[in-house]
Amino acid sequence: MIQKKVCMVGVFGTGKTSLVQQYVHTKFTDKYHSTVGVKIDRKVVSVDGTDVTLVLWDLAGRDPQQDVGASYLKGSHGVIYVGDGTRRETVTDLDDLLRVATAAAGPVPSVTAINKIDLTEQWALTPEDYQALVKRGALFRTSAKTGEGVEEMFLQLARFLIVPKAGA
Amino acid sequence: MTDVSAASRSSDAPRGKGAEATLTPPHVPVVPVPPVAGGAPVAASASAPPPAPVDPRVAEMAELKRLLLDAERARLDANEARLEANLLTPENLADRLPEAIVLRASQDKQLARALAPTVEAAIGESVRRKPGEFADAIFPVLGPAIRKAIAETMAELVGSINRAMQHSFSARGLSWRIESWRTGVPYAQVVIKHALVYRVEQVFLVHRETGLLLAQAHPPHLQVPDADLVSGMLTAIRDFVGDSFSGEKEVGGLRTFSVGELTVMVEQGPRAVLAAVVRGQAPESYVRRVQETIEGVHAQFASALNEFEGDTSAFESVQPLLEDCLVTVLETDPPAGKKVNTTPYVIAVAAVVVLLIAWMMWQSTRWSRVITQLRATPGIVVTEAQRGWRTHSVRGLRDPDAPQPNAIFVAAGYDSVRVEQQWEPYLSLQPTLVLKRVARRLGAPQPGTPSYVLRGDTLVVVGALDAVWLARVARRVTWPAGVASVDLRAAQPVMPAALASPADSLVSGRVLFPAGTSQLDDAAYAVIRGAARQARKLASALGADGVSATLTLTGRADATGTDSTNASLSRERADRVRRALEAQLREGAKTPAVRYDPKGVGTAEPLPASDSTARARMNRSVSFDVRLTIDAPSGARPQ
Repeated sequence: MIQKKVCMVGVFGTGKTSLVQQYVHTKFTDKYHSTVGVKIDRKVVSVDGTDVTLVLWDLAGRDPQQDVGASYLKGSHGVIYVGDGTRRETVTDLDDLLRVATAAAGPVPSVTAINKIDLTEQWALTPEDYQALVKRGALFRTSAKTGEGVEEMFLQLARFLIVPKAGA
Repeated sequence: MTDVSAASRSSDAPRGKGAEATLTPPHVPVVPVPPVAGGAPVAASASAPPPAPVDPRVAEMAELKRLLLDAERARLDANEARLEANLLTPENLADRLPEAIVLRASQDKQLARALAPTVEAAIGESVRRKPGEFADAIFPVLGPAIRKAIAETMAELVGSINRAMQHSFSARGLSWRIESWRTGVPYAQVVIKHALVYRVEQVFLVHRETGLLLAQAHPPHLQVPDADLVSGMLTAIRDFVGDSFSGEKEVGGLRTFSVGELTVMVEQGPRAVLAAVVRGQAPESYVRRVQETIEGVHAQFASALNEFEGDTSAFESVQPLLEDCLVTVLETDPPAGKKVNTTPYVIAVAAVVVLLIAWMMWQSTRWSRVITQLRATPGIVVTEAQRGWRTHSVRGLRDPDAPQPNAIFVAAGYDSVRVEQQWEPYLSLQPTLVLKRVARRLGAPQPGTPSYVLRGDTLVVVGALDAVWLARVARRVTWPAGVASVDLRAAQPVMPAALASPADSLVSGRVLFPAGTSQLDDAAYAVIRGAARQARKLASALGADGVSATLTLTGRADATGTDSTNASLSRERADRVRRALEAQLREGAKTPAVRYDPKGVGTAEPLPASDSTARARMNRSVSFDVRLTIDAPSGARPQ
């Protein structure tokens, strides 16, 4: 069995825990629970016939200025950056988080999830923001509430994690 | 700082008294300068006699010192003025004391050391003078402390009592069995609950950097949490602890933590971490074992650990190493010196078991013996025999003439109430049963005791038997089962008991004759008439039953005369009596069917008498006898 450690990184309240809950347990709650420290969950995903166990480290949300928890990030095989589409600063802050995470975990594969697309009337991102994000690599617009884009986002990361192995 | 100023002061001392006076507080002696510091006397002797200081360097130095001293002297002057202004009055002290205490206490422990004897003495004095107030004062502190101490002692005591109870119960295992049976909890778990010293419930091998689970082991049938998640959380906790106590991280990080009854022991290597979840108290030796295991894992899987990229298949062979760490230790040994001598119990139990087995075997033997006896009994066929715990049951066939099975059971010691019997009647053809049946059906002759022999299906009757009874047997048409015909040739008919008295009268009569003649006189006729009466009675009674009577008339002669004369005379006498008797019988209403058998024996069978005269008289006679024969039944088989 292949296992991969994946960290969820993002500012407070962007929906990291909700994404994991939606993905692993297919459930969603409107209540906001601030994660303390880290929560760990697990999901087996099949990528082109290979089963991969994603061990999901759901890190507590941080201020971008704060250290994101370098210890937790250490040894990660992949990182998921989560921003909140209704709060523009959470997306722009991802640049800072990216720097910190890369310093701790190295240049590992990552995907970016812009969450809460179900809240369309509060959407705060401009086309320019998208342009900037797309440059960074795989970008997914997700909704932990409806489940839209969630499965695809995790699956894409799992693919990223498997590919180097197959090539090696 | 203080050292420097002291040195400079002492080296300057001999140069000018004015400077000295302003420098030194009034109570300090002015001259000579005491050699307090090591360097001081040297400096003093070097500069003490100044004859004519012409060395320009010395002059420069003096100038430098003067410049420095001037500045210091001004400061000292100011200080002295301040000291004089602020004399140490109680008021001043009261203002500054708390501040001073705080200041000094924060610097070192000198203040506490200095105050301790005084405080102790004060407390002692206070306790001596007002113990009540002192007790009230410290009560809020003392109460909880005492309660805590008592609680801890009690917990310890209860623990030791519990252990003592466990140990002293010799039937501990039995009680656990009962508990297991009562609660439905498996016995092993009950034992573990009571006697567990420690049990390693799960062992994880975790990749140190990623926190991914490489392998895990746990005892079978034990519910354990999801190892992947535990492994991740364990790593997160280690990271958290490591971050929080960063100084300790280098010397091993998180080693042990407890959750409820579980203790998690963590041993880390350079690449992997081994965590053992222990219920109970693991000894130090187990810690070493875990350490050895993680060392072994590193030695054996060095490259796999270095190259780990998430694929755990390389670590499948680590499983046995982890399983070696799964240990369960129970306090199975009773404490020394308290060993219960179990021998008497063992002997008692063994004796009971042996007795029980013997009793059961005896029961079984007794039963099979009685059943064998039943089967061997003629006229009894056992078709079904069941031995129960208390009641038994038997079914079969029984000839009515067979012995009572119940009597056999009772004779074997069984309570007949406990043996349920069901016998269907049937007729047995076994000879004994046939003969019994015959005896029952034919009844008993009077007189005589018949003996029966069965030859094939022919019944042979043997014995001197009642003639009337024999005649009835001979006439019998239906026979009990097993008998087809009867053979009476070995049976001798005898006078029935009912006719004994007429027969006796007849036989006891004797017709006497005078010597040398066969003439019948009156007395002779009287005897003949009597004999005829009895003969009539007999003949009529017997004839009705199919028995023929033959009257034997035996004539005799006395010893006088020749044998031939005597022979013819005796025969003549018998014939004459026969004719007279026949005439008598013919005179009645019905002449009975009587046969006559007259014969003369002469002197061949003389009747005994006491003397010769009586003998001669007695032997001049004719005597009677009756012989019985059974008439052949009409149409019967010839016998």
